[in-house]
Amino acid sequence: MMRERRVLSPYTKSVLHYIALTIVSVIWLIPVYAMIINGFKSNLEVASSPVLVPPSHPTLSPYMAVAHVLETPIINSLIVAVIASLLSTILGSMGAYFFYVLSNSYFRGSGMLSNFLFSLIALGTFIPYEATLIPLTRFIVDINLLNSYPGLIVSMLIFYIPTAALLMSLFVTVVPKSLIEAARLDGAGDVKIFFKVILPLVIPGFISTLIFIIIESWNNFFLPLVLTTTPSMRLVPVAVEAYTGGYGTLYNETFAVATLASLIPLIIFIFLGRYFIRGLVALGGAGKGV
Amino acid sequence: MVEISAKSVYKIFSKKKGEVYALKDINLTIESGEKFGILGPSGAGKTTFMRIIAGLEAPTKGELLFDEKVVARNGKVIVGPESRNIGMVFQNWSLYPNMTAFDNIAFPLTNMKISKSEMRQKVEEVAKVLEISSVLEHYPRELSGGQQQRVALARAIVKSPSVLLLDEPFSNLDARIRDSARALVRDIAEKLRLTVIVVSHDPADIFSISNRVGVIFQGELVQVGKPEEIYNSPKSFHVARLIGEINELKGKVIEEDGKNILSIGNLAIPISGGYRGEVKVGIRPENLRLEEEPREEGWVEAGKVRVKITTYEGGHFKVTLTPLGDDQEIIVFMDKIPKEEEMKLFVRPSKIMFFKY
Ligand SMILES: Nc1ncnc2c1ncn2[C@@H]1O[C@H](COP(=O)(O)OP(=O)(O)OP(=O)(O)O)[C@@H](O)[C@H]1O
Ligand SMILES: [Mg+2]
Repeated sequence: MMRERRVLSPYTKSVLHYIALTIVSVIWLIPVYAMIINGFKSNLEVASSPVLVPPSHPTLSPYMAVAHVLETPIINSLIVAVIASLLSTILGSMGAYFFYVLSNSYFRGSGMLSNFLFSLIALGTFIPYEATLIPLTRFIVDINLLNSYPGLIVSMLIFYIPTAALLMSLFVTVVPKSLIEAARLDGAGDVKIFFKVILPLVIPGFISTLIFIIIESWNNFFLPLVLTTTPSMRLVPVAVEAYTGGYGTLYNETFAVATLASLIPLIIFIFLGRYFIRGLVALGGAGKGV
Repeated sequence: MVEISAKSVYKIFSKKKGEVYALKDINLTIESGEKFGILGPSGAGKTTFMRIIAGLEAPTKGELLFDEKVVARNGKVIVGPESRNIGMVFQNWSLYPNMTAFDNIAFPLTNMKISKSEMRQKVEEVAKVLEISSVLEHYPRELSGGQQQRVALARAIVKSPSVLLLDEPFSNLDARIRDSARALVRDIAEKLRLTVIVVSHDPADIFSISNRVGVIFQGELVQVGKPEEIYNSPKSFHVARLIGEINELKGKVIEEDGKNILSIGNLAIPISGGYRGEVKVGIRPENLRLEEEPREEGWVEAGKVRVKITTYEGGHFKVTLTPLGDDQEIIVFMDKIPKEEEMKLFVRPSKIMFFKY
């Protein structure tokens, strides 16, 4: 016998879904909204009006005043974040391929070795930056790269290659292993198999990982803080933190700086976001359709 | 071309529940230029054996030799798959989905030192032989099953491999085009004088291509021989059944007037040979006929049988019979529905197979 159960109509159900979604979005958007509108307020108004009330006389002057402050950090951040994330995503993908091949290899114990190395790397991604402060700084100083682009990039690679390897493993392991075997029988080496067979098949995943790491490295505060010494080498998060106005704290200008600093990740996400989503969707349908 | 020999090859997979012997003491030499078929039921170890030959898997024990040179021994691959010059058609074809048919076929050539124009010429040559010239610019997902199979075959033979491996090459094809695909593979192999190893659970695949067959059961090579040998004198009832429909019957051999008679229920069939007492015999349906059907020489009357069920199957009627006073079932094929319920059964005694009880 069927048990009587009160069932919501599909219509009520979808209305409830949308209400829930709206609530979540609003909660998430409030700080962003506050950040943007308060940058358009005058110094007096930002202090006197409630934080969620839009400006009565919008002005661009806070943005004008801070634009030059962020000019150098944005260029620095672009150079470091783009190079570091591209390199770590490519190298991380190669690592993911390596683990995939190792775990399927016929050598005795290779499966165990693969698991062990993989766990080690996964563990590495969970170590907080702060814990590595002294050895990392000493290392960068020793190789004479303190306060330089290569120094920042190398330090980011240390953290983001494992992250990329971990993420890309999700995508690479979806490629059927018989494709790799076919390529091997066709006489191709691992480098060629990676670039000609694996990489083209995991492009959505590759772009997702790339975006994730660009945004992570763009927002990384700690590494540039300890590894740069002069204002000319500052990256955006450090510059934002350092910005307090000439005398006292000008809240409207702080909001404007924060807005400008978020712009680049936002633009990247707007242009590449659909690949990000596509990558995640591809993962959902794992195994099929490759 | 290359001669491949396996010396006491074992493959043991360790699983949580213990060990699986996928291959047990395989000894086999496949000569250069031979078309060798490996027949066995699902899970017998056919794919495993093929993967060991390809170098994708190492034998747990034993040796594999190519032209008397050891390529793998006791768990170690000595010559890797990329250096064995093997062309393989995978069961699911494994075409590179990101490349066109042309690039798929050209891929093995890009790993050799040959010029672009020579490459193009070679690809177009095989494409022409396999009649896929018109779809070279298509991606695998834009090809029909038959075309994909041809592209996979083209990719396997374009580099003139020393041996061509085919793992269940026709199982993904429609029954309609399977016959032409088999004929195509046989002709190509003949034309290019390739050494071919074909693996399948379908005897039709094996018999249409190979001139020698090995039958494998639960990892053991139970019989090796020419196709007609395997067909006419299988070593065991299992082998016989793998190759085609067969009636398995229990009977008794008795001596009457100095002649040996095989008796199954009321049926009595004169036989030659020294069998005596309880026996197990196998008789293929084509060696049994009901009285209505025409017969040439060599047929003898066995006795009366009762018709139980008649079904239609693949262009003829499949009739299930039982001897009178016995409940063993016998299957025969006919072109028309049997007219009466009790009829005389004829048999070709020379085709009866005797098996160990
Ligand atoms: N990688 C593996 N790990 C563990 N066991 C395996 C592995 N590969 C195969 N086996 C086992 O080895 C035995 C033989 O498998 P194999 O794939 O060679 O059979 P097959 O004859 O090709 O069967 P089919 O006709 O179904 O393809 C099976 O029992 C299978 O479960
Ligand atoms: Mg198989």
